[in-house]
Amino acid sequence: MIRGRAEPLLLFVRVVLVMFILMPLAVIMLSSLTEGSIPEFPPSSWSLKWYSHVLSQPIFITSAWYSLLLALLATTINAPIAIMSAFAITRGRFRGHEAVQTFLMSPLIVPAVVTGIAILLSFTQFGWRNAMSRLVFAHIVITLPYLIRTVIAALTRIDSSTEEAAMTLGATPIKTFLLITLPQIMPGIIAGGLFAFIISFDNVSVSLFLSNAKFSTLPIVVLGYVEFNMDPSIAALSTLLIILTTLMALLIEHLAGLRNTLGS
Amino acid sequence: MNISRRAIFWLLLPAFLIITMGLVGPLLWLFYFSLLASDAGIPTSEMLTSANYARLFSDFHALAVYGNTFKVSIYVTFFAIAFGYPLATWIAKLKGRKSAILTLVVISPLLVSIVITSYGWLVVLGTNGILNKSLMTLGLINQPIKWLYSTLAIVIGLTHIVLPFMVLSLLSALEKIDRNVIEAAAVLGAKPLKQFYHVTLPLSLPGLISGIALSFTICMSAYVTPAVLGPSGPQFITTLIFNQFVTFFDWGMGSSMAIALFLLGMGLVFLFLKAAYRYGGIAAGGQV
Repeated sequence: MIRGRAEPLLLFVRVVLVMFILMPLAVIMLSSLTEGSIPEFPPSSWSLKWYSHVLSQPIFITSAWYSLLLALLATTINAPIAIMSAFAITRGRFRGHEAVQTFLMSPLIVPAVVTGIAILLSFTQFGWRNAMSRLVFAHIVITLPYLIRTVIAALTRIDSSTEEAAMTLGATPIKTFLLITLPQIMPGIIAGGLFAFIISFDNVSVSLFLSNAKFSTLPIVVLGYVEFNMDPSIAALSTLLIILTTLMALLIEHLAGLRNTLGS
Repeated sequence: MNISRRAIFWLLLPAFLIITMGLVGPLLWLFYFSLLASDAGIPTSEMLTSANYARLFSDFHALAVYGNTFKVSIYVTFFAIAFGYPLATWIAKLKGRKSAILTLVVISPLLVSIVITSYGWLVVLGTNGILNKSLMTLGLINQPIKWLYSTLAIVIGLTHIVLPFMVLSLLSALEKIDRNVIEAAAVLGAKPLKQFYHVTLPLSLPGLISGIALSFTICMSAYVTPAVLGPSGPQFITTLIFNQFVTFFDWGMGSSMAIALFLLGMGLVFLFLKAAYRYGGIAAGGQV
C-alpha cells in the first residue's frame, strides 16, 4: 500500500485472524499445565503432573514408537524412489511428460479415506493381512507424491549447467549425479523428507482402516481416547508434539524454505 | 543432460509400481467389489449387480448426509476465502524473516496433526470452554452456549484446517501480480476495496480457483473434525462410510458410498482444474 501503513480496520482483521489460527494451539499448550482433571484456560492451579501421567501410559508410548517407526520407514524407502522419478521428470525428454507427473501425484487428489478403504479391501482379499507391513506400504503410497514434488522443485532450482560441465569433462551420468547433482539437492531432499515424515506421522484417514488392536498409530490412539476422556493428558501430549513439529518446521525453513517444500 | 529412454523407464518404474499397486489397483478392486452382492465383507456371488448403488440412491438418510457435507463444504470455502485474502495479501507484502514467521504461523494448522487442532477446538468451544467463559465475563451471554456437536463447530474446525491451503494457493497467484498495477490503481485514486475488486481479485483468480478446489476436496473427505467436534451431531460422508464398514459390516454399501465420494471428488477437481486452466492458472496440490 502506498501509505506504507495498514489502516486500523485492516490491522484489526489481521490480529483477529492470527488469533483464530493460533487459538486452539495456544489453548492446548496453556491448558496442559492444568492441575485438575478438566483442561482449563488459563489454569486455576498449575502443575506438570499430566506430562508425567501421559508419559507413563504404555498405550501412548507404544503407539508413538510405532508411528515414529512407520514414518521413518516410509520416508527412507521413499527417498531414493522419489529422487529417481523426480530426476527422470526434470532431466528426461519423453512423451506424456504431463501425464506421468499427474499419475505420480494422484494419491494427493484421491480422498484419503477412499484410499484407506481400497487398500484395506484389496489387500485383505489377496491375503496381505499383516498390519505393520500394510501400514508401511500404505504410508509409502500417500507420502511419495510430497517427496517427489519437493525433489522436483529442488532439481529445477539448481543450475544444470554444472551437470553439463561435468559430463563434457568426461564424467559418467551416474558419477555426475552423485558428485554434482546430489550434494546440491540434498537440503531439498532432507526438507522434503521431514515434511513427508510429518504427513505420515499425522495421518489418520488411511491408518484408521489399517490399524488394529495390536498395532495402532499414535493419532488413532489419541482419537479413540479423546472420544471418551476430557482430561489434560492429551493436551500435554499434544504440546510435546507441537514443540517437536515446530522444530522440524524451522529446520525445513532453514534447509530449503517452507514454501518451496510445500510446493505452492 | 540427455537420459536414454531405457534409463527413464527404470528410473520411473519403482514409483509407478507403488502407485499402481497401492492406489490404482485397490481403487479398481473397490469398484469391482461395489458391484458384487456381499455379506459381512465376503462376496456371495460372482454376478455383477448395481444393487449397492440402487440401495445408496434410495437411502434418503445417506443422500441427506451427502447434501449436508456439500453444504458444510460451501460454508467452509466461503470463510476460507474471506479469511484467506487478508492473510495472503499481507504475506505477499512482507519480506525476509517477517514473511517466513507469518508463513509458519499461517500453515501451522497444516503441520500439526488434525487430531490435535480438533482437540484444541474441543477445549475452546466446550460448555466451560474459553469462548463461553469470555462471552459470559463480557456479559454478552448469561448461560453457556452449546457450540459443540453443531454444524457451526464443524465449520469452524474445518475452516481452520483449510485456511493454510487457501492462503498458499492465493499467495502463489498474488506473487505473480506486478505490484505496479496495484500502485497505479492507488495513485489513480482507487480506494482499497475498489483496488481489491478491480485489480487483485481478477488477477489472483487462478489461485482462488485452485484454493476452492482444495477446500472442497479436503472438506468432502474430512473425517477427524466431524468425529471429534460433533460425534452425535450432523453426519458426514466419511463417518457414514466408516460406520458401514466398522459398525454394520455392510461392505457392499460402504464401497458403493466410497466410490460415489471418489467420483464426486474427481468431478469437482476436474471442473475446477478446467476453470483454472481457462484463466491461465495452475493448481497447487495438497491434502490432509
